[in-house]
Amino acid sequence: MEEDEDPFERLKHLPPRGHHALLGIYTVDRGSDWAELACPFAPGFLMDPEAGLVASGPIVSLIDAAAGAAIIARTRQWRPMATLDLHVDYLRPARAGQALHARATCHHVTHKVAFIRCDVHDGDAASRIAFATARFFFTGTS
Amino acid sequence: MIARTPYAQMLGIESMAAEPGMVALRMPATAQLEGRPGFLYGGVIASLLELACLDAIAQDRGDAAGRPKPINMSFDFLRGGLMIDSFAEARLSRVGRRIVHADAICWQADRNRPMATGRMHLLLGG
Repeated sequence: MEEDEDPFERLKHLPPRGHHALLGIYTVDRGSDWAELACPFAPGFLMDPEAGLVASGPIVSLIDAAAGAAIIARTRQWRPMATLDLHVDYLRPARAGQALHARATCHHVTHKVAFIRCDVHDGDAASRIAFATARFFFTGTS
Repeated sequence: MIARTPYAQMLGIESMAAEPGMVALRMPATAQLEGRPGFLYGGVIASLLELACLDAIAQDRGDAAGRPKPINMSFDFLRGGLMIDSFAEARLSRVGRRIVHADAICWQADRNRPMATGRMHLLLGG
C-alpha cells in the first residue's frame, strides 16, 4: 500500500464482491470518524411480500458494513478485523421499496477493539428504523 | 416456514429436521455470502440466527403468532465462519402474553463449538 493512499478511498472503490455485491451496498458519505453506507431495496429483502414486511437481516448486514467502514474512516488504517458483537434495537418497521441507509460512528478505539454506534433509516434521517452498537476487534498481531 | 420467505431464499436457507421443540436451519456457503475473503459475512450469520428465532416462534405458535415484531437482538460472534455449511437452532426461553424471548446458536462442523449466539425479544400480535 502506498503511503499517501487514503484507506477509505481504497475501500470505496473496491469492486463489489461477496455479500456487499448481493445487497448492492455502496458508500454515500464519510467524515473523520463516521461513514454512511446504503443499499437499494430488492424484492429478496421481503419476509412477507403480501404484507410488504421487510426482513431485518439486510439491516443487520448493512450495519455491519457501515461499522467496518467507520473504523477505517477513523483509524485511516486498513487492518484486518472481525465483529465481536452487535446489538440492534428495531425502532420501527422498514418500508418496502425504500433504500436503506446506515450511518455508523466509530466513537472509540483501543489497541485491539473499536466501538461503534449506528443509526439506520429508510429515506428520512429524522425517522430512524434501527439503532445499533457494535464492537470489532483487530485480528492482526500488530 | 421461514425458509419459504423471499429473504431466506435469497440467502439459500433451508429447514431441516430437528429434535422436538427445536427448529434448525441450514445455510450452505456461497460466494454471495462471503465477507472478508475465506469467511462468511458477519451480517449473514446474524441473519441466520434471527431467522432461526422467527422460525421457532412460527413453529410454536402457528398462526396465533401473527407477525411477531422484533424489538431488539444481540449477536455474539465467537469464531469466524468458514465457507462451509452453517446451522442454526433457536429455543423460546419465555413466551409471555405479548413478549417472547428467544435464544439461538449457530455452528458449522461441530455443534459443540458454536460460531455465534443470538438472543432476541419480540412483540406478539399486530
